Amino acid sequence: MTRADYFAILFAVLLLPYLYATQWTGDKAGTTASIMNGDETTHASLTENRTLQINGVVGTSTLKIEDGKIRFTASPCLGKQCIHSGWLAHAGEFAACLPNRISVAVLGEEPRFDSINF
Amino acid sequence: MNNNPDGTADTKTGITITTTPEDHLIAWLAALAIAIHIIESVLPSPLPGVKPGLSNVITIVVFVLYGWRTAVWVSMLRVLVGSILIGTFLSPTFMLSFSGAVASLIVLWLASRLPGDGLGPIGLCLLAAMAHMFGQFYIAYLLFIPHEGLFKLLPLLMTAAVVFGIISGIIVRSMLRHLEKDANDITAPNRNEQE
Repeated sequence: MTRADYFAILFAVLLLPYLYATQWTGDKAGTTASIMNGDETTHASLTENRTLQINGVVGTSTLKIEDGKIRFTASPCLGKQCIHSGWLAHAGEFAACLPNRISVAVLGEEPRFDSINF
Repeated sequence: MNNNPDGTADTKTGITITTTPEDHLIAWLAALAIAIHIIESVLPSPLPGVKPGLSNVITIVVFVLYGWRTAVWVSMLRVLVGSILIGTFLSPTFMLSFSGAVASLIVLWLASRLPGDGLGPIGLCLLAAMAHMFGQFYIAYLLFIPHEGLFKLLPLLMTAAVVFGIISGIIVRSMLRHLEKDANDITAPNRNEQE
């Protein structure tokens, strides 16, 4: 084993985790979310942590943005489907409160899904 | 130039093919590599592109003992004749095999330019295997499956290349030790291409 051999092995050992990290974590996190309230759409950045209060048809829904993720934390609806959708982080992920007519979608370069049916 | 050890001179038609000892050496080594190549092509593979690549062992041994030029001859003959015998000549399999072989020969050429001690058998095999994999992967992406999704396979394929590269490096190392032991009294051809 020469010194160059050790460098070759080191190169290979470093290259493999790099490949796994870059190729197998393909779903890039979204950086903005589009929030639809009725017919109007607003965009919210996911980079700063904050809580949004949005007045819908039925009442006020609360959205929480934390560490690049967004979720419903409170909503005046009955089923609470929006809250059960949990954290949205990847581009294309989506949650909606239909009674309150508010929906949230994470935007990104590559959407993970074209559409989702429930 | 006058000696034709196996009588390849054809005096009846007036054409004389003279063979040098180097030609015979290349033919023998290429035959060995082709045999390994064909045996290996029968082995089942868990994933397209994953093969132990044992015929590259011969390429590396030839590179270490006789230099880069001879290694190119042996490697190219192996790819060409091997594909003709298996029946994959000019098929995608051949293209991948060929591009992989070219990529690893390029890396071997770079390795022969290294200053100092240069690379030992394990480093040579490892880098050649990785270059082989990357070369055939890139050609597969360019020609056959131009889809981003193919890159999801790259980490797995590279892992296989690293593992098999190191294994064949160990094989090459022990082969060279045996050859050195046997060839102590025979004057070995010098590594003139290495300069």
